[in-house]
Amino acid sequence: MGARVALVAAPPSEPDLSTSLGGLRLSVPTLMGSGCYGSGEEYASAVDLAKLGGIVLKSVTRLPRLGNSAPRLVPVASGLLNAIGLQNPGIDFYLAHDVAKFAGRPCAIVGSVAGFSVDDFGYVTERLAARDEIDAIELNISCPNVAHEGETFACDPALAAAATRVARAATRKPLIVKLSPNVTDIAAIARVVEDAGADALAVINTVRGMSIDVDAVTPRLGNESGGLSGAAIRPIAVLAVWEVARAVRIPILGQGGIETARDALEFILAGARAVSIGTGNFTDPRAPLAVADGIRAYLVKRKVATIGEIVGAANPGFLGAR
Amino acid sequence: MPVLGSDAAVHDSVVCDRREPSPGIVVIGCSAPRLAPYVQPGQFVMAILPGGERVATALGVYEAVADRLSLMLVVVGSRTRELASLVIGAPLALLGPLGNGFDRSTLGRNVALVAGGVGVAPLLLLARDLRASGTRVTLFYGARTSAALVDADRFSALGVEVVLATDDGSRGYHGYVTELLERSGGHDGIAACGPTPMLREVARIADSCGVRAQLSLEETFACGVGACWGCVVPLDRSSLQAPPFPPFAEGERRTYVHARICKEGPVFWAHELRW
Repeated sequence: MGARVALVAAPPSEPDLSTSLGGLRLSVPTLMGSGCYGSGEEYASAVDLAKLGGIVLKSVTRLPRLGNSAPRLVPVASGLLNAIGLQNPGIDFYLAHDVAKFAGRPCAIVGSVAGFSVDDFGYVTERLAARDEIDAIELNISCPNVAHEGETFACDPALAAAATRVARAATRKPLIVKLSPNVTDIAAIARVVEDAGADALAVINTVRGMSIDVDAVTPRLGNESGGLSGAAIRPIAVLAVWEVARAVRIPILGQGGIETARDALEFILAGARAVSIGTGNFTDPRAPLAVADGIRAYLVKRKVATIGEIVGAANPGFLGAR
Repeated sequence: MPVLGSDAAVHDSVVCDRREPSPGIVVIGCSAPRLAPYVQPGQFVMAILPGGERVATALGVYEAVADRLSLMLVVVGSRTRELASLVIGAPLALLGPLGNGFDRSTLGRNVALVAGGVGVAPLLLLARDLRASGTRVTLFYGARTSAALVDADRFSALGVEVVLATDDGSRGYHGYVTELLERSGGHDGIAACGPTPMLREVARIADSCGVRAQLSLEETFACGVGACWGCVVPLDRSSLQAPPFPPFAEGERRTYVHARICKEGPVFWAHELRW
């Protein structure tokens, strides 16, 4: 990690929670997951955004998208099934109206790019990353809720690499590629995405799932299938981070069912340099603040000075830098 | 609907009252001095249970007096069961006030309120405000059974004319409350909250009478603040022209957009819905 300039000397007992993801500096290791935090302003009155590491914006596509028909959400045991379908106004309108909200932004802002062709990923990345308000790009190659070719990119090594390459060519800003758990070997995909030029990997997107209304004899979601998030997928996500951390050297953004500091610590100890909180915000919007506070308390208790020292600490095969 | 109320915040509240007017229907009172005075009729809160692992539950505000508000809920699943079992003194965080409530100014001088089941809850504050301004108010209140008709006397106490209906005929009219609404007539405006089939029928009746209706829609919310786009209803394209909704694209043939029920609603004009 690069040198960090401390403007105010921290007391000895105050551990350093700052971290970085392939060049994206975060004051605390907590990002808000894409699609769960809108454009950030929706939560601005309820949560002090300055206490967040950053916000990953809702994914944007080349053209406007109406999104899936209702119902789009089904609460299930310890989790949430969703099938929003990438509803967004398209990159032109988005750049004109949404991005400007982040002038004088309180935390890191990561733009999220989704697409339906390799070319889409390059085009939208270039347009979005050109804006000063955007600190980094997350490539959403793993949306499970669009009728065709959404998740295909994350499930096919050649397509994952191709999408990453065009996005890489389109920006020098930190590029985070979001992987899907709905693959046989996530580590293999992680390697090709690293080789294609990604600066960091987001692990994982939602797990495909379905719920059926047995009285109505039909799937509950308008899209029939959806993506499962929340506590239910946490062990799946921790294992995915563990496996990816043994396969690549670039930093990992761990996510999947994080609600508490101890949840987040599982991901960090498995090898994540930072974590994303998505559905956890719906359980309690104050969850991200509690996660940061709890990680701080954990480091104090163990007399660890920086969060970097515990990244991958439980994972003997961890390849990345601390 | 105009944006009403103040900015939403998380309020650490405590359950200060609990009653069960009918089996499975619970009213919990909460102390919320910085929230209760700012709630507009039809607005809702997200009730945040301690302990995590459960998405917060959206509940329309039932009563709001001074530093207290109350929430009416019907036990349908694990989250509502947990909320219903909260005892006096239990902590309960509330995110709110949220959403756009009823627009009182456009309802006129003779208003019909239509409630189905616990959909009666957000109509009480509206009735209070309408009556305070001298408006004539009739409540058409339907439920499956007599036991599920709760707190009708609170409306009567405000000077609201209350008309009851039950599906099984155990109290009031034997049939749907919308049948009574259709036969009544003479109202300047309608405000309704209840199951979707009832709301669709209210919309049809309002249209046939040339009266505008405001409908409070129910849906599963995740965030409650417009961030996740999980609760949507098709709304006429022309009624949503401001960001984040893009203008018509050239050659676009769709006549609707997906509006967020939690953010653009939960109260919508019936004639703008394309459901």
